[in-house]
Amino acid sequence: MGDFIGFLGANLADFWTYTGFHNATPGNIIMILIGLAFIYLAVSKEFEPMLLIPIGFGMLVGNIPFNTEAGLMVGIYEDGSVLNILYQGVTSGWYPPLIFLGIGAMTDFSALISNPKLMLIGAAAQFGIFGAYMIALILGFDPMQAGAIGIIGGADGPTAIFLSSKLAPNLMGAIAVSAYSYMALVPVIQPPIMRALTTRKERLIRMKAPRVVSHTEKVIFPIIGLLLTCFLVPSGLPLLGMLFFGNLLKESGVTRRLAETARGPLIDVITMLLGLTVGASTQASEFLTFSSILIFALGAISFFIATASGVFFVKIFNLFLGKDNKINPLIGNAGISAVPASARISQIIGLEYDPTNYLLMHAMGPNVAGVIGSAVAAGILLGFLM
Amino acid sequence: MRIMNRTKIGILLSMIVVVCFSSCKEQKVQKKLMINEVLIDNQTDLEDDYGVHNGWIEIFNKSYGSSNLAACLIKVSSTPGDTATYFIPKGDVLTLVKPRQHALFWADNLPNRGTFHTNFKLDSINSNWIGLYDSGKNLLDEVTVPAGVLKTNQSYARISDGDDKWEIKTGSKDKYVTPSTNNKTLDKNAKQERFQEDDQLGIGMSITAMTVVFIGLILLYIAFKFVGNISVKMTSRNAMKVSGITDEKDAKNMKEAPGEIYAAISMAMHEIQNEVHDNEDTVLTITRVKRSYSPWSSKIYTLREIPRK
Repeated sequence: MGDFIGFLGANLADFWTYTGFHNATPGNIIMILIGLAFIYLAVSKEFEPMLLIPIGFGMLVGNIPFNTEAGLMVGIYEDGSVLNILYQGVTSGWYPPLIFLGIGAMTDFSALISNPKLMLIGAAAQFGIFGAYMIALILGFDPMQAGAIGIIGGADGPTAIFLSSKLAPNLMGAIAVSAYSYMALVPVIQPPIMRALTTRKERLIRMKAPRVVSHTEKVIFPIIGLLLTCFLVPSGLPLLGMLFFGNLLKESGVTRRLAETARGPLIDVITMLLGLTVGASTQASEFLTFSSILIFALGAISFFIATASGVFFVKIFNLFLGKDNKINPLIGNAGISAVPASARISQIIGLEYDPTNYLLMHAMGPNVAGVIGSAVAAGILLGFLM
Repeated sequence: MRIMNRTKIGILLSMIVVVCFSSCKEQKVQKKLMINEVLIDNQTDLEDDYGVHNGWIEIFNKSYGSSNLAACLIKVSSTPGDTATYFIPKGDVLTLVKPRQHALFWADNLPNRGTFHTNFKLDSINSNWIGLYDSGKNLLDEVTVPAGVLKTNQSYARISDGDDKWEIKTGSKDKYVTPSTNNKTLDKNAKQERFQEDDQLGIGMSITAMTVVFIGLILLYIAFKFVGNISVKMTSRNAMKVSGITDEKDAKNMKEAPGEIYAAISMAMHEIQNEVHDNEDTVLTITRVKRSYSPWSSKIYTLREIPRK
């Protein structure tokens, strides 16, 4: 009987070593709290819930402590585990292009086509990427890591994941979480910069209503867009190819079912898997490092630079434009590719100063140009640094 | 008009065909696989899987996709008119060479020892011509190892994998013999080092990259400015035709319909196409719901039996 009780005791003691309570580290607890904060922000403040809910919950999933030496095949970093298999879409970089397919199928490029000069704002905002790249180099990151960190300034989660999975896979978790966090915080980060860099007179500028764009132009756009951008930067092909393909599905008018699948069920499924696995990749042992803190700081800086450079560029651009063609600098912030969050910010701030001045349609131009610009920038970084 | 369009389409298609043919003419056979290194007189270098020293030929897959050597041919000739041909057997998974990897063939004249043992030996006195052919007998790569230049245990190899230039690997510290591995060991990231040396602050990279981003989007701007102008002209021409106006001055004075009209038309079309009109037809209908019986969906089988008293 004594032996049997001893056996039971040993069994229970053995079981205890498998539980999360036994294996928990302060790092796990911190990451779980961060995950809960993400979920809170998504549910309560409605900050990018589509992203923050999967990522926040993924953080909980990834930080459930377990005995890593037991070979349970449950962790995201254990070969062959279910999470590891799902994570391969991130590490091998095929989730982001599928997200881009969906984005292409849901984006209306009319604003950009009707006023193509707005594309240049999308280019200017990419200064955020290279500003952060230079600061990262100064802080001691090597060029590949700096490139991966800099792309946070593009404000494009899928692009950030795609590029970091190629250039700095060990920093991908921190870069992805940082990119998505700041994208969610666009309503907090951008307005003060926009107000600080513009005068009241500039904020009241009324832009000419965009002209009606024909169906032919809309169909031509993804084709010419693909050919021009990818001939220039072939390394951007996975992202730009899928973006323009999705847009052609939408605009051709004859592939409605495909377009609906791309912008509906497909992008939803990939968003869930991407968010969950990126969140789960923030396992405390891999994530809680000094580099991650630096990456978060650099991410914030890159957003500041990107927003400021977009607004500044419009102000400079206005010097060369006629009186009737002036651009409201409040749409400069939309050069980053957080679609449509940053365009919405332009609209909200614009309406604060003139309740009849609707900037949303105009801001969508630089906003979608930002998507193209950040994908081009990612292609350039990949081409130069790989 | 239709005939005109057909003529235009015909001209366009024929131009495309001409361009395709002219580019096909220039196209060469895709050369993914190449001879990368050859060792003729092996005394103390690498042993084969039988523990024997023999000459060898290394083949390199220079592409970033796997490439299969099955059914390819290796031809060797040391005297004119005397060519040995080795048919690389099919059905061996090991003939699939992974991206940027190597396959090593032993020139031991013992083909029964396995796929990677050829039916010829290399000539240590005369020059050796070696050719690699694909399964369609197209020449993929060839090399002639000159006579008398290689000493024992020395190899004739490309300076680095896939390089056009060849050199003699003497076995010294800089020129080591590398069977089944890179001709030049990649122990550093040259690109990264160049950036670290020449562009410590990243200014060069930033200027270059931003220039390319701007060029890309400026090209798009120019393209769509052009497309937009054509589109506007075509629209106004169509409008003139519909309104029966022939003079462009009159057309300019013609006002475009205000946005509200477009909005109203769009709304009406949306309502019709998507059946969103909220006027119900006030006819009650009963849709008969038929559920076919299946033991899988039967509640009877999912309930526990009532205890009998």
